[in-house]
Amino acid sequence: MSGSQGETVFAVEAVRFAYAGQPLCLDGVSFDVRRGERLALVGANGSGKSTLLHLLNGLFFPGEGRIAYLGSPLTEAVLDAAPFGPRFRQEVGFLFQNSDAQLFCPTVEDELAFGPLQMGWTQAEVFRRIEDTLALLEISRLRGRFPAGLSAGEKKRVALASLLVLAPSVLLLDEPTAGLDPRSQSLLLEILEALHTRGLTLVTATHDLTLLPHLADRVLVLSEEHRLVADGEPEPVLADTEMLLAVNLIHAHSHRHGRLVHTHPHQHVVAHEHVHGHHHEHEDQAEPKK
Amino acid sequence: MATLPEWLRPGARPVSLLPQRATAHRLLRRTLGAMGRSISLLVREPDGPGVGALRTADPRAKLLAAVGLIVATTFLRGLLPLAACLALALALSAAAKVPGRRLLPVMIAVPLASTALLLPATLNIVSGGPPLLVLWRSAGGAFGPWRLPEVVAVTADGLLVAGRMVLRTTACAALALLLAATTRPQRLLGGLRSLGVPQAFVMVLAMAERYLAVLLRSAQELHLARLARSVAPIGVRREEAWAAAGVGAVFRRTRSLADAVTLAMVSRGFTGEVRLLRPACWRRTDWLLVAAAAAVAAGLLILDRRLA
Ligand SMILES: Nc1ncnc2c1ncn2[C@@H]1O[C@H](COP(=O)(O)OP(=O)(O)OP(=O)(O)O)[C@@H](O)[C@H]1O
Ligand SMILES: [Mg+2]
Repeated sequence: MSGSQGETVFAVEAVRFAYAGQPLCLDGVSFDVRRGERLALVGANGSGKSTLLHLLNGLFFPGEGRIAYLGSPLTEAVLDAAPFGPRFRQEVGFLFQNSDAQLFCPTVEDELAFGPLQMGWTQAEVFRRIEDTLALLEISRLRGRFPAGLSAGEKKRVALASLLVLAPSVLLLDEPTAGLDPRSQSLLLEILEALHTRGLTLVTATHDLTLLPHLADRVLVLSEEHRLVADGEPEPVLADTEMLLAVNLIHAHSHRHGRLVHTHPHQHVVAHEHVHGHHHEHEDQAEPKK
Repeated sequence: MATLPEWLRPGARPVSLLPQRATAHRLLRRTLGAMGRSISLLVREPDGPGVGALRTADPRAKLLAAVGLIVATTFLRGLLPLAACLALALALSAAAKVPGRRLLPVMIAVPLASTALLLPATLNIVSGGPPLLVLWRSAGGAFGPWRLPEVVAVTADGLLVAGRMVLRTTACAALALLLAATTRPQRLLGGLRSLGVPQAFVMVLAMAERYLAVLLRSAQELHLARLARSVAPIGVRREEAWAAAGVGAVFRRTRSLADAVTLAMVSRGFTGEVRLLRPACWRRTDWLLVAAAAAVAAGLLILDRRLA
């Protein structure tokens, strides 16, 4: 793994961003990401999580403010130039929210080969990496398949594989667990855990608060006004019900099970029939918060 | 707690269906269904590896051969050489085991469409020559500033022109389909690139191919979403309105997804160069393919001149 523990990977300074002809969707956002950190980005739908990840990946550029990667400002000119551009692309992997956008090759194998081939690695090296990555994610049997024809969970795994094959040191993950069944979800969490112990820096956008403690050591909360309103460890942030209510991440029906805040994003149409996606103990189920 | 409207509560009485004319919209619905099916054929899984020599040949050799034959075809004038060329393309498609469900729609649609386009060309107004079949006779005269023709008739020259064009387009389409059906798009683009076609041009083609794939997929999804929501037939008028609105939605979605795909490519280090796993290697049989195509093209051209 390149870089030393604790160095600043991303420095985000007073970033403001708006899509062409649209109102601001990031308003004065500042924070640092340190090497080896597991950071979660939470916020309601449309608060700007995905947009912020795109900016960190150098796909969009801030209108105002700066983003630096390892001290070098991320600009279009810098990213177009070798050796910084290719190195940045190899070191920083981005798992898109929409797997369909991420998978564009005719076979899973070609999908995994895409990044390494762009880096100019030898065929032998590319094959070796593909082999290992497919085995790691338990998707060797999908090797010759057409990515668009896979299930949502399989697509997610192939997309993750297409990033890991490049041996990145930073992963930007946009809603990685959305749409996965419990087994795929825990497999993914296990893999992320393993990568984290090997020193990878993880930045995850999510609104699944139940998974936060497994995904992050630090949580940033984006408000619907597109500002950062909290930055801290998961426990205190999750305990701040008032703040979570204010940013519309939870609503009045939310209650706590043990140390987890359990939210019900408006999935239930029939009055108060709880759909629990994850298995955990309901110790104090009888005390809904007012 | 939000109060549910009465019609969402359990045990709500279902709304009675409007009486429907059963037949009127069936055609449109069937067309939409057929569209969905043909789309799923187009965006299906890639063909299994290596059926027949044509599939395994170097994409560059196939490109050269196909382009050579297509260019020669555009110079052919006689009906016989054109028919021979079409027959050759079909025979090769059969030999390469191009599935009929892929071949047939093209082989029906292309001649039909080009015939429809070329119908005016068969008339004496467009192509001169003695009339073969008189369609309409008038006393002449004028319509505003225009003089009306005295007869409107199909001419032999017109028929020849139209027949030649229909055969030519069909033969070219068959050759192009043969190339497309035996080579994966990415290999084809890689082939173009290594034949010296400029990167910008190949990029545009790659984009077009990607937009098309995404476009077809979103059209299919929208069609399915629409089918899933329809409990009862909704009537031709509304089905048409839906189709019109659907086309707009498909295009918008296509754009944003294709843009997202581009970002995903850039994110993994894409700089504009097509790079392939297992790059094609030119073998002796590939020379053979190119030489055979050149010989056939030359043969057809000579035959054409002799007959003329
Ligand atoms: N390509 C785009 N063009 C224009 N506006 C966009 C685009 N992508 C996102 N937006 C807008 O920017 C705002 C932030 O969107 P973003 O996707 O970053 O939110 P998010 O926090 O990721 O939401 P979600 O939880 O639904 O994924 C939204 O108002 C959205 O409508
Ligand atoms: Mg998002």
